[in-house]
Amino acid sequence: MVDENLDMISFQMISNVGTARSLAMEALFAAKGGDYALAEEKLEESNKYFVEGHRVHAGLIQKEASGDKVEFSLLFMHAEDQLMSTETIVLLVKEMVEMYKRLNK
Amino acid sequence: MKTIMLVCSAGMSTSLLVTKMQKSAEAKGIEADIFAISASEVDSTLQKKNIDVLLLGPQVRFMKPQFEKKLKGQNIPVEAINMQDYGLMKGENVLEAALKLIDNK
Repeated sequence: MVDENLDMISFQMISNVGTARSLAMEALFAAKGGDYALAEEKLEESNKYFVEGHRVHAGLIQKEASGDKVEFSLLFMHAEDQLMSTETIVLLVKEMVEMYKRLNK
Repeated sequence: MKTIMLVCSAGMSTSLLVTKMQKSAEAKGIEADIFAISASEVDSTLQKKNIDVLLLGPQVRFMKPQFEKKLKGQNIPVEAINMQDYGLMKGENVLEAALKLIDNK
């Protein structure tokens, strides 16, 4: 695989999961302000971007699994790091939104 | 000289975008100081440097209100980088957006 191509894939991952991460945080801010409908909306939107970022990543994994070795790069590792941290943030934000709901009942 | 500061979570992915933006500025004969830092370095960098515009990567877009509050009254626009331009590393588009923000302030 050409290096530049992997850079592009990394950037697409970062761009998508990064947007997903921001939307998750915005959902949490919305819940903090008591706007749970907006929080749900943001989380739904966040999920769309996360799925897209994940799709790009899965394509690479499948490529490697089929025997086409993917070159390693620091940028790609960074993109995977963003993917993982976003996954964690989203899971926790979902729980925290529920906590805000209960707290403010 | 225009100073453009890009912020992302580690200052890593954005630094690649910075290279593309610098190349675009050179090609256009625009004198610009473009650099990328991580979100945690914003405070210390602002103490040392005067900037004309602050651009946020998609993964830290949610910090926009926080930075706007911090820069209140300093006439420094804060804007999120278009995620399509970010994902495709369109340095030229991001540079243009930054220059437009500076012109409009």
